Amino acid sequence: MDQWFDVSLFNSTLRMLTPILLAALGGAICSRVGLFNVGLEGLVLFGAFFAIVGNYLTGNVWLAVAFAVMCVMLFSLIFAYLSIHLRANVIIVGISLNFLALGLTSFSLRAIFDVKGAYYDKNMKGLPALDIPLIKDIPWLGDVLSGHSPLVYIAFLLIFVFQYFLFRTVSGFRLLAVGENPVAARSLGMKSKRIQYGAVLICGVLCGLAGAQLSLGQVTMFTENMTAGRGFIALVATMLGQSNPIGVGASSLLFGFMDAVSIRLQGLSLPTHFTMMLPYVVTLIMMLFFRDKSYMQEARKANESSR
Amino acid sequence: MNRKLTEFAGSLVQPIVAVLLGLLIGALAISLVGGSIMETYAEMWKGAFGSFYFVTNTLSRATPIILVGLGATLAFRAGFFNLGAEGQMILGGLCAAITALYVPGPGWYKLLLALISGIVAGGIWSAFAGWMDAKFRMNLLITTLLLNYIASLFAGYLVAYPLKDTTGSAAMAQTKMIEHSAWLPKLFQGMSLHAGFLIALAGTILLFLFMKYTVSGYETRMLGNNPLFAAYGGVQRGKLMLYSMLASGGFAGLAGAVEVLGTQYRYLDGSLSTPGYAWSGIMATLLAGSHPLGTAFAAILLAALQTGGMGVERNTEVPLEIASVIQATLILFVSAKISYGFLKRRKARAQGGSMV
Repeated sequence: MDQWFDVSLFNSTLRMLTPILLAALGGAICSRVGLFNVGLEGLVLFGAFFAIVGNYLTGNVWLAVAFAVMCVMLFSLIFAYLSIHLRANVIIVGISLNFLALGLTSFSLRAIFDVKGAYYDKNMKGLPALDIPLIKDIPWLGDVLSGHSPLVYIAFLLIFVFQYFLFRTVSGFRLLAVGENPVAARSLGMKSKRIQYGAVLICGVLCGLAGAQLSLGQVTMFTENMTAGRGFIALVATMLGQSNPIGVGASSLLFGFMDAVSIRLQGLSLPTHFTMMLPYVVTLIMMLFFRDKSYMQEARKANESSR
Repeated sequence: MNRKLTEFAGSLVQPIVAVLLGLLIGALAISLVGGSIMETYAEMWKGAFGSFYFVTNTLSRATPIILVGLGATLAFRAGFFNLGAEGQMILGGLCAAITALYVPGPGWYKLLLALISGIVAGGIWSAFAGWMDAKFRMNLLITTLLLNYIASLFAGYLVAYPLKDTTGSAAMAQTKMIEHSAWLPKLFQGMSLHAGFLIALAGTILLFLFMKYTVSGYETRMLGNNPLFAAYGGVQRGKLMLYSMLASGGFAGLAGAVEVLGTQYRYLDGSLSTPGYAWSGIMATLLAGSHPLGTAFAAILLAALQTGGMGVERNTEVPLEIASVIQATLILFVSAKISYGFLKRRKARAQGGSMV
């Protein structure tokens, strides 16, 4: 049991949870304005792909991340336009965005890099590991917390930024008001559509970062459908956390831990099928315990029914 | 009659505009890769409908898509997002293969039992999600999605270990081959089209009649259109949800069974999920606005896009994935209800969006 819960397990937990956490925060912001974003999976996939493309084009990791964020913002604009402006059903727009991401990234992978399945270049540099000055010298904690890509730290910082923004600032209250009751918000003179657009764009930025962490922070490569359901897990994290930044952070921590444990279990003689199943099964069980009713009502308000 | 005709034409405008826009975006993508647009689309047409052989190829690819689409149609009409077609299809295919392999008896008997077991397996897996929603209020959208991963990993485990075909030299994760007498017969000598297509057509017509003329069909539609009114009218949401999810998953399970018994003759890991039948079926439903007959047409259209995409890949430099780009844009535009729906919506803005 001792070798089990060692430093590297927790270290990889932090790495695993980052894309989920970033995307889930994006989902939380969207759901706070009454838009249930099922397209997280697709947006993260776009982010992962364009981060690699940006890296290939510019040769600079930071420009690559910025490029990914820009591109994902464009795609999230499609989501915003269709669901806010044309009042299409958000769930269907989200599903079709996922299709688009899967098709477009596979197509572009062939078109740009002329490879099928995966693109890998050994000369390509990923996001650098960052050591935190004081903490890295603390024996156990230093090994767990230090030496991650900067996006990992940004993700954790964002939990508190969002918590403060949503519940302590005027713009945050406006955002909540729009999600709570769009008509009332509009009658007070709030530009509810503009606020909704803003929320979707923030979500796009976060999904872009999540994708960049996935393709540049962990492996420096892109494989077809490399999100493999992480976007959906992020959606569940949003729900379990009741769209509350700190709650979302806690549930992402759980999924990141399950991800790390499932990889650890593969070292044992268990068939990989079962270890890979673990995060999904745990998600189902957690859904049983944390049911979010207010959340469903918000989704309903926005679009009559969420299912 | 005249008004009905204009209504019918009006409902066609939207998908047609979407298809045209999809082809336009496709043309953009083709020109970006440096291919010739006309040549690519000509190859796509030839690959889908160029000869009798290709037509049957397209129809046989459409078979599982139609069946999954019908299941999704039923669920969407009742107001439930059943996104678990993939898992339901995989379990249906797996159970059909196991039944056909291990149940003793004559060929036709095995075939029949295999089809039924496919329906039952898919239906139970789907109803399980419905039950979790009705009983514990767990969001159906998420549970059906999660159950996909669980089903495909579980099936993958079964064919990689206990049920693995160890007779051949190949190291593929697959079950043994089903004996010839339990196969679904081919419709034409030497072509891939099999009797499953007839099952899919029969299913389409039956579902259409069910929705239009039976009391439960009416209740299903009512629940989807206006849950409050349905509740007021005495429709039991929980019960109807279980039944419609059961039937919806049953269609998906049948799709898997038909594919295994008509094309693969064994359960091969990934053979049902890799071609994306389940998602294509859901797309067909979205494209057709959850109309059973329309879903069948849309399924054939999507299958034609896919087989056409293979033709494009064979004969031009443009990658096969062009088909998925066109498909996705098509659905995106349909989801927006651009054109027809958009104009209508402007007037009825206050009422909010519609369900499907």
